[in-house]
Amino acid sequence: MHGFHGRLLHIDLNRATASWQDLEESRLRAFLGGIGLGTSLLYDYAPPGVEPFAPANPLIFTSAPLVGTGLTTTAKFAVVTKSPLTGFIADSLSSSYFALELKRIGLDGLVITGRAPSMAYIFIHNDDVEIRRADHLAGKSPTETESLIRSELNSSSVRVAAIGKAGENRVCFATISNEGRHAGRGGVGAVMGSKNLKAIALCGSRESRVADPDGVATIADSLRQRSLSSLTDKYRSIGTVANLAVFNRLGSLPARNFQQSTFDDAEALSGETLTENSFSRRHGCASCTIRCERLFKSLNGEEQRLEYETLFALGPLCGIKDPAVVLRAAQLCDFYGLDTISTGGTLSWAMECGEKGLLPEANKLGLRFGQPDAFLAAIPAVARREGVGALLAEGSRRAAHELGGESSYWAMHVKGLELPGYEPRSLKTMALGLAVSPRGACHNRSGAYEADFSGEVDRLRADPARGSLVAASEDFAAVLDSLIICKFLRKCFSNFYGEGAELLSKVSGWDCSSTELRRIGERIHTLKKLFNVREGWKPTDDWLPERLLSETLPTGVARGIGLTSNELREMIQGYYQAREWTQNGLVPQVKLRELGIVSSVSSLGSRVSGQLEAQDSKLETAK
Amino acid sequence: MERNQTITDATAIILTGGKSSRMGRPKALLLFDSEPLIVHILRGLQCMFADAVVVAAPGQELPPLPATVARDEVPYQGPVGGIYYGLKAAGGEFCFVTSCDAPFLNVALVSHLFSQISSYDVVVPYWQGRFQPLHAVYRKSVLPFLKDQLDRGELRPVFLYEKVRTNRIGEQEIRRLDPEGLSFLNMNTPEDYQLALKRWREVRKRMETEAASAPVSVTVELFGVARLLAKTKAVSLSLPQEATLSQVFSALAERLPVLVGRVISSDKNDLFSGYACNVNGLEFVRSASAKVSPGDRIFILSADAGG
Repeated sequence: MHGFHGRLLHIDLNRATASWQDLEESRLRAFLGGIGLGTSLLYDYAPPGVEPFAPANPLIFTSAPLVGTGLTTTAKFAVVTKSPLTGFIADSLSSSYFALELKRIGLDGLVITGRAPSMAYIFIHNDDVEIRRADHLAGKSPTETESLIRSELNSSSVRVAAIGKAGENRVCFATISNEGRHAGRGGVGAVMGSKNLKAIALCGSRESRVADPDGVATIADSLRQRSLSSLTDKYRSIGTVANLAVFNRLGSLPARNFQQSTFDDAEALSGETLTENSFSRRHGCASCTIRCERLFKSLNGEEQRLEYETLFALGPLCGIKDPAVVLRAAQLCDFYGLDTISTGGTLSWAMECGEKGLLPEANKLGLRFGQPDAFLAAIPAVARREGVGALLAEGSRRAAHELGGESSYWAMHVKGLELPGYEPRSLKTMALGLAVSPRGACHNRSGAYEADFSGEVDRLRADPARGSLVAASEDFAAVLDSLIICKFLRKCFSNFYGEGAELLSKVSGWDCSSTELRRIGERIHTLKKLFNVREGWKPTDDWLPERLLSETLPTGVARGIGLTSNELREMIQGYYQAREWTQNGLVPQVKLRELGIVSSVSSLGSRVSGQLEAQDSKLETAK
Repeated sequence: MERNQTITDATAIILTGGKSSRMGRPKALLLFDSEPLIVHILRGLQCMFADAVVVAAPGQELPPLPATVARDEVPYQGPVGGIYYGLKAAGGEFCFVTSCDAPFLNVALVSHLFSQISSYDVVVPYWQGRFQPLHAVYRKSVLPFLKDQLDRGELRPVFLYEKVRTNRIGEQEIRRLDPEGLSFLNMNTPEDYQLALKRWREVRKRMETEAASAPVSVTVELFGVARLLAKTKAVSLSLPQEATLSQVFSALAERLPVLVGRVISSDKNDLFSGYACNVNGLEFVRSASAKVSPGDRIFILSADAGG
């Protein structure tokens, strides 16, 4: 097999066993690697209805066909599990040397189930698997853990992914971190913590082979050149922090828990200002020519990575205007292993509840919009689950549910996942993308905002025709996330499906067409939806927070613009139609047959078929 | 002053309550530019004042007006009475007072008078040896002085200027904005009216010719890479009438050559494919042949909003 190893490693921490299994080529061709393969394995390995923190919930790491080929931006891996934040699929990506090492182990997928009796880490050295004690690593940051394990194993070629204190404490939005990067969203770190698994250390030496090395090298050259063109200038020259100033001017920068879509102090926090005043260093993932990462000088003299989502969530969303405070907050999130978007989203919820008198503990701590001291103190409290931090560690949805009263109105999430930094009311295609996304409010599993920012549509107006744009964007993202290619390279393709199919063919030796690749994207996305349906998805889960449907934007160029429930409902219907799903958002049998989901993978087939019967009977009852 | 920007806390007061005896018919209703003169004057002032008061004699006939109508409590007390009743009805602290027989108001001059108020109570032009009390700015605080004058029968406004802090604006200063002093031209007889109409046609023709050749002014706001390269956030550009975005990019390239080859294409007619253009924060414009309008704010930003 080319591009893949055709193997999966299953580690059961309950029994401390490791078993190697073959992966069917049919499954790899149907779902590729990354998010696609991870989703198919999740469907197979997670018992229906499993509790996210139950030992049986599988924590799945997957590699992908393009990893290790030398193609720019492809050193990535996926982490897939059932999310403690949403109860649905959590599919996260991270990147760099850990991704290359995972592939060098000689596997396509790593499935971890069970729970170690005490804190442990896994060391995989080619075919050898060792479960080692990690009591001495308790409370350490991911970076400290990485360096301690590497010196303990006495090997600089070992690569480590680890959780911080937040993951150990099952904070529902804890991350898994490697080399300063994070598999960030959906609480994959909390699931790892629930398994008493502090880290995974890898050291491998198996090179993967591609079917047509010369052909791949030619494409790699071309992509490398394109990756250095004006199409990626933003990422290479400023990084994603460039979004803040322009989003503010376009009335699309969520501020103060989505009370506004502009921020008075945006200029002080802008990427341009940060670059002029605090820039320290540019950095990039392994195998990447774009190198979008920006490190800035923080007040304590240390360098801190910052990207747009972190800047927005720990800045304007919480009313924080001092860049030094944002950098410090980002440092704390990295140290404890916290998703910055959900941290900002949950803290801004607490701030609003505190200010409106619903959360006296928050008020007592001085947790209010724009107050830096209490804000910085709250982050460790969340990671340690101390005081009000214990409530906030559950994320805004569950915290609001526990607090009761009107507090749910201020919890800005979809399916439990806090919203990213794209104001849905002034980005109507994005509004739909956020509402229907299987992993909750997410800007990565679809790039629906792209239509809004392109002039292709009127971003301020809702329109059911956006359904097809969102569906196409999701399928496109599913393919990128499964090959895996970084999204920041996406604009460098003039005919993505054609070029992608050619690339995949040259790597795998399959004769893959652009039609097949499109179909793979749809199949992957559909399986995510099927997983969610199996885990209890209801039509009301595809929705936006009530604030967005009740309040119009008070400031900026989009002042007076809102989004009504009817507009959203019609757009969602447009989306289901574009997907050829039922009016209730369920996937009909005919669609599954068309996508070959039932037939392509034998083990998956029987599981999906079983579920379909259940789904159909539910449908009958609904009628 | 920018277009459509109103002066804060200010009211326009138009006096219409004179007897119009030499004209032979009410001046406020004379047709000017196909509309009653009072409507014409109000329209001219609307771009500067959110609040307007028309002072009329009791029972005086007026067309429907977008203004507060104040009636002289005692009619025919001359300009001091009109100014007094107008100030009493005004919502603003500062009031520009004019009369309904002066059709050639000059917005730039009126704006200049306001800019000279500082701590004065009155700003009044002095043109060809005479004060122009019906083209002046009054602070509301002068009301008691006017009342006192009315009580004592001092019906000439110049007496007020001796009692309060008055800023006299000299002829040289006025000529910079209104070289011929048209602002102070008023009409008392049918001959004046005919002359003014003739004058108005000339003025309008000149204005139209000027407008047709006047440059279009736009502002380009720079974001991201463009801002860092240019080391500035915004640039104002003057362009010919009917200018297109392509001309905006060319003019920008002339002003900021550092953008050429990186943000603006080498032929200076378009942006590179990694960049996008948004007009007024509302519309992403993909074609460089799209026309711009005066006052447009054109954003230049990265075409990729990924984060």
